[in-house]
Amino acid sequence: MSRIRTLSLVALLASVAWSQTQSPVVSFKTVRRLYDKNRDGEVTRAEYTRGDELFTKLDADGDGVLTEHDFATKKEARNEAKKPTDPNVPGASTPDATPVTPPTAEQSAFFEKHIRPVLVKDCMTCHATGLGDVKADLALDYRDGWVKGGINGPAIVPGDPESSLLISAMRYSDSDVKMPPKGKLSADVIRDFETWVRMGAPDPRVDAPKNSKEAATDGSLPKVGRTVSKDEIEAGRKYWSFTPPAKSVPPVPKQNGWAFNEVDQFLLAEMEKKGLAPAPDADRRSWLRRVTFDVTGLPPTIEALDAFEKDKSTDAHEKVIDRLLNSPQYGERWGRHWLDVARYAESTGKEVNVAYPHAWRYRDYVIDAFNRDRPYDRFLIEQLAGDLMPYQDAVQQSTQLVATGFLAVGVKALNTRDRRQFEHDLADEQIDTTTQAMLGLTVACARCHDHKFDPIPQSDYYAMEGIFLSTDTLYGTFRAPQTNYPSAVIELPKDNGQPKGAQMTAIQRTVLKGLYDRAKQLVETPVDPKADVVARVRTAQANATIAQYDDVFSRFDKDGNPTDRNLVAMGVMDRPRPREARILDRGEPAKALELVKRGVVQVITASDAAPTIKKGSGRLELAEWIASPANPLTARVMVNRIWLHVFGQGLVTTPDNFGMTGNRPSHPELMDWMAVQFVEDGWSVKQTLRRLLLSHAYRMDSTASAKSASVDPENVYLSHMSTRRLEAEAIRDAMMASAGVLELERPEGSPVGALEGRVNGDLLRRGLAMQKPVRSVYLPILRDVVPEGLEIFDFAEPSFVTGERERTNVATQALYILNDEAVTAAAEAFAQRCMRESDDDGPRIEFAFLTAYGRKPSPNETEAARSFLRDFRALQRTDAPTPPTQEGARRRPRVARGNAAPRVDVEKETWTAFCQALFGSAEFRYVD
Amino acid sequence: MSIDPCCDNEGGASRRSFLKSAASGFGWLAFAGILSEQAYGFDLGGKLNKVRPGIPQDPNDPLAPKQPHFAARAKRVIFLNMAGAPSHVDTFDYKPRLATDNGKAAGGKLRGNWMASPFKFTPSGKSGLPISELFPNVAQHADSLCMLNGMYTDLPAHPQASVKLHTGNFQFVRPSMGAWISYGLGTVNRNLPSFVTLSPDRGNGGAQNYGAAFLPAIHQGTPINIGRAGRGGGAALANRGGGGDEGVANLKSSRFDTKEQREQIDFLQALNRERLRREKDPQVEGVIESFELAYRMQAEIPDLLDLSKEPKATQDMYGVGEQDTDAFARQCLTARRLAQAGVRYIQITKGGWDHHRNLKQAITDSTKAIDKPIGALLADLARTGMLKDTLVMWGGEFGRTPYAQGNDGRDHNNKGFTMWLAGGGVKGGYAHGATDEHGYEAVAGRLSIHDWHATILHLMGVDHTRLTCQHAGRDFRLTDVHGEVAKDILA
Repeated sequence: MSRIRTLSLVALLASVAWSQTQSPVVSFKTVRRLYDKNRDGEVTRAEYTRGDELFTKLDADGDGVLTEHDFATKKEARNEAKKPTDPNVPGASTPDATPVTPPTAEQSAFFEKHIRPVLVKDCMTCHATGLGDVKADLALDYRDGWVKGGINGPAIVPGDPESSLLISAMRYSDSDVKMPPKGKLSADVIRDFETWVRMGAPDPRVDAPKNSKEAATDGSLPKVGRTVSKDEIEAGRKYWSFTPPAKSVPPVPKQNGWAFNEVDQFLLAEMEKKGLAPAPDADRRSWLRRVTFDVTGLPPTIEALDAFEKDKSTDAHEKVIDRLLNSPQYGERWGRHWLDVARYAESTGKEVNVAYPHAWRYRDYVIDAFNRDRPYDRFLIEQLAGDLMPYQDAVQQSTQLVATGFLAVGVKALNTRDRRQFEHDLADEQIDTTTQAMLGLTVACARCHDHKFDPIPQSDYYAMEGIFLSTDTLYGTFRAPQTNYPSAVIELPKDNGQPKGAQMTAIQRTVLKGLYDRAKQLVETPVDPKADVVARVRTAQANATIAQYDDVFSRFDKDGNPTDRNLVAMGVMDRPRPREARILDRGEPAKALELVKRGVVQVITASDAAPTIKKGSGRLELAEWIASPANPLTARVMVNRIWLHVFGQGLVTTPDNFGMTGNRPSHPELMDWMAVQFVEDGWSVKQTLRRLLLSHAYRMDSTASAKSASVDPENVYLSHMSTRRLEAEAIRDAMMASAGVLELERPEGSPVGALEGRVNGDLLRRGLAMQKPVRSVYLPILRDVVPEGLEIFDFAEPSFVTGERERTNVATQALYILNDEAVTAAAEAFAQRCMRESDDDGPRIEFAFLTAYGRKPSPNETEAARSFLRDFRALQRTDAPTPPTQEGARRRPRVARGNAAPRVDVEKETWTAFCQALFGSAEFRYVD
Repeated sequence: MSIDPCCDNEGGASRRSFLKSAASGFGWLAFAGILSEQAYGFDLGGKLNKVRPGIPQDPNDPLAPKQPHFAARAKRVIFLNMAGAPSHVDTFDYKPRLATDNGKAAGGKLRGNWMASPFKFTPSGKSGLPISELFPNVAQHADSLCMLNGMYTDLPAHPQASVKLHTGNFQFVRPSMGAWISYGLGTVNRNLPSFVTLSPDRGNGGAQNYGAAFLPAIHQGTPINIGRAGRGGGAALANRGGGGDEGVANLKSSRFDTKEQREQIDFLQALNRERLRREKDPQVEGVIESFELAYRMQAEIPDLLDLSKEPKATQDMYGVGEQDTDAFARQCLTARRLAQAGVRYIQITKGGWDHHRNLKQAITDSTKAIDKPIGALLADLARTGMLKDTLVMWGGEFGRTPYAQGNDGRDHNNKGFTMWLAGGGVKGGYAHGATDEHGYEAVAGRLSIHDWHATILHLMGVDHTRLTCQHAGRDFRLTDVHGEVAKDILA
């Protein structure tokens, strides 16, 4: 059984002494003192270390956190039991005992002007029957609500402000009840309330509002903006993408013998309809470079080029494809495609950007899942509900827990002030990512109103929100100033088979230790009781720093090796009690309408096939509904994603939107054939990819015929392959591979693993250095501080679901290639490889071209290269020594200072310039 | 004189027919590479000809300044794009009727109650244009402003409307307005991009909003981050981390001097041209151009982006260094410097206008961040005499509902909204068009996005029906088959 681990000083906390069988009679104060580690005034399930059973007992209102309310409820229940039937006891009075005189016009006006707006704005979020939440049983949304009063009795004694609880609570004079909790209201407002109570608290709101639970059953939707009717949903089920795909018989094209497989049949038949003919085959080396980049994100090695050139067997292409698909580099490339869609990153983003030190486990999970060709349906279920799936052993259980990191690694605004707002935003982010990534639907558009374009009513959104609100998202951040909503992480079970993570580097330790010691010193210095706000915030920050780094230092031993305490993961678990969500008028938490039964999007569910939630949050049912062959979108969306990365654009060119504002497929029958075949292949991504790579279409040359260029310039009908720019990772990896320095082995963990708290300043600059030149997929991806070499070549913005990246061509990229230190260093390493290869220019040039482009230079190019080398050498020799500049120290290394002018290492400089030019050339960053 | 640089330049029949046959994407380089290799690199003997592109004399140069169709009123554009759609009825579209009807049901199809603007409008300048108290500084320039109160657009969704605003089409990938203007008019300072976009929005269409689509890639906007520092500590990562970096990174090689670098680029370009000849891949042009521009930018950009070169008084006037205004002030001041240096089209994007709730506070904060810098920009342009031929444009992708969303918010509204223009040959102190009495729907002087585009091109001396590029077998225009110039606004 996995446990949730709290992040701070567990060991220092005493346990409460009561037997497990005894009914807990304990004050909230005590519980809070013992368990509220982050001091946010409530105790979460994660903080409570006495087990689930007791927690559930204490959590009277079942909201997953222990608050004063739970204990008040208990107390009240006990009082209820021994309540005397004495009518003189306050609170025993019944509403109809109080005479109601209708307010005068003047009184009404006063109420409407000064009282109602305040009640609505500052009180009714928590005290309104009509909105569903009635904290401490006190309703303030109708007259009898306060007449009857809450657990402390009537809130108002008409005519007597001094005896009215409401007034004392507003004045903050009562030490127990201070309302509203987020801050005292202004003196003017309080005076208005006193006046109002003094005049007898005239309240025109005599009718009890309709209980919203009853409202939920009549099935009516709130009337805001456009409404999606049942008819519209029914009609929507006939939209192409909302109808289950059906397999048609592949057409038989006129041209015989060209089609290798069904994919080609569909494509060729369509070409013929448009009067197009397929391009001739690409030459073998172009195909090999193409397929090697497409499958692994790396250039072919010289050995691979040689071997393929020599292999004249009929299945030579197939052998290459299988070799590449079985290499671990396949998962590193294709896993990254999914990480784009899963908006993977290692920090929260937003104004207060807080590190996720354990996010990398999810990254590795995705890479492994692709490498092991985890069936795509299972892959999806694991990410949404891995914690709820059965398992054979701790290794499998851990893998499944890590998979749920999908729901935890999103953007979060931890400085949000209002807890409800934060929780709704969190669920919204999860709904948005899940539906776009897996279904190609923008369900989150229905948060504030019915979807403007698709037949998705607001109630569908809140049906899904209930599932996510019943889920505890564990992302592992601490409380600190500007950083609210601390969260635990999942402690993985023993024998989990998981790596422990990256070492803490010496530099990281030094930086962290420095910050830690400074914080300690600050806290230990006695604080002037009259200290100003700034000083108090500084102390709070220091305390947070200490708590964070206590955790960090417990995760690493003194040599920087990760300890068992680092075996934790981000992810989700079910809350103890599931709950339904309420529709929020315009998405505003303060405007809760009726409850909605948890469920899924209707338009893509046959009316009799809606899943029933058997137990828990319903995430498992949601996941199974998504990953079902009956879901019309799931297979289509994934097949399209695979297609897009093979042919350069999707059959549907809006890969994250299959709704009504998305584009329709260029080849509808092919799309559906592929989708059904994908499911029949056991949702195997590798099988689907292999089919595309083996097609004749994939073997075509990338040059467009004149006809194709004029009739089909966007190459929608694929009468030739499209030239595609490589992604940022492939460009960087190819430079490193050419330089011969790329480390193919997967590094353990991430440099972010040794961080906690806000990511900025020194910690970042010095803390993120990689130990080894690893593949780009393993570089630290912090939101808003993506490594420059990736950012500049259109890396996927990690705050959005990104099915397709941009492909820009701008001067800043050229500047990066020309001037960046790391690129220059890689060029130098590449140069040294060339120089080791031979002493002569000819073989060096050939080696460089083979390495960078996968082909030999043409005679023209050889000549150009020789001419460049000659001129550049001459320039170096005649170059007057550069006078020392400010960058003098960083200028090129000069060797052999003789009596004459200082000489540079002409050969190394020349070849470095040469190799850097290759990096910058168009051919280096495009595949044909 | 015609400006159709893609298809109808002074190049003779052979060039034209070649380009027609090459159909799409092939611009000047294809021509240069094949018909006059002598000029651009390889001669057939394989020797390198070192062409040093400085100030161009080459008629095939896509960025060479070109003659407009008729006398231009504006020579350059500064577009202040308010992403997220600011409320027009709280800023520049005064609707007293909303105050009268405050709280009343809007009725008809509209489900909501009219909500009066919480902000006071004052007649400003000699012209008396009503401007909300949110813009005290901009209001001082009322007599330079030309209100377009009758704007409308297709869809009330941010990504689609934003892409439509920038490219004229939300469905297909099309060149952005800045790219069209660069393509049509070229640029006067060859050391700078013709089109610069400062801190562009990463969402809502992203790079499509400054893309070149099928126009030569050199016309796409060059993104430069200004005023993003501090976001996530990007500035601290100057040498390693990315997106948050201020200005332009990598402007100097620590290894090769400019002579050596030129040699290096010449070689690289020779390889590119060889590829262009072999593969006829139009994307190569983009790479070639990006290196030439990069090389030239190194000389000029560092000084240009160094705002400390501006007098303290000027910095203060814009609000540089003030907490509320710093980012936008830097962007505006940078825009003025770029405009002065000869950049044709400059866009600044300011997000955060999607005020569904908490409107009163949020729009106060949003406007506070921009009012002073915009006021300073207009004053500064006027002071330097540039306002008369610089077109300053302000606005978002649509407007907001005059009825309330919740207590204190407004929903998306594409039926009517306001943008404004200043300088560049437009009537000042003038309001064109109007929405209905509540501000919901444009009823007079209605301007679609196509009309707006047509008008802007007209101000630049370009006939929107004649600025075309052939692609996929037909001529494309920014305005497709639509667009009517709002002649009333011309000064």
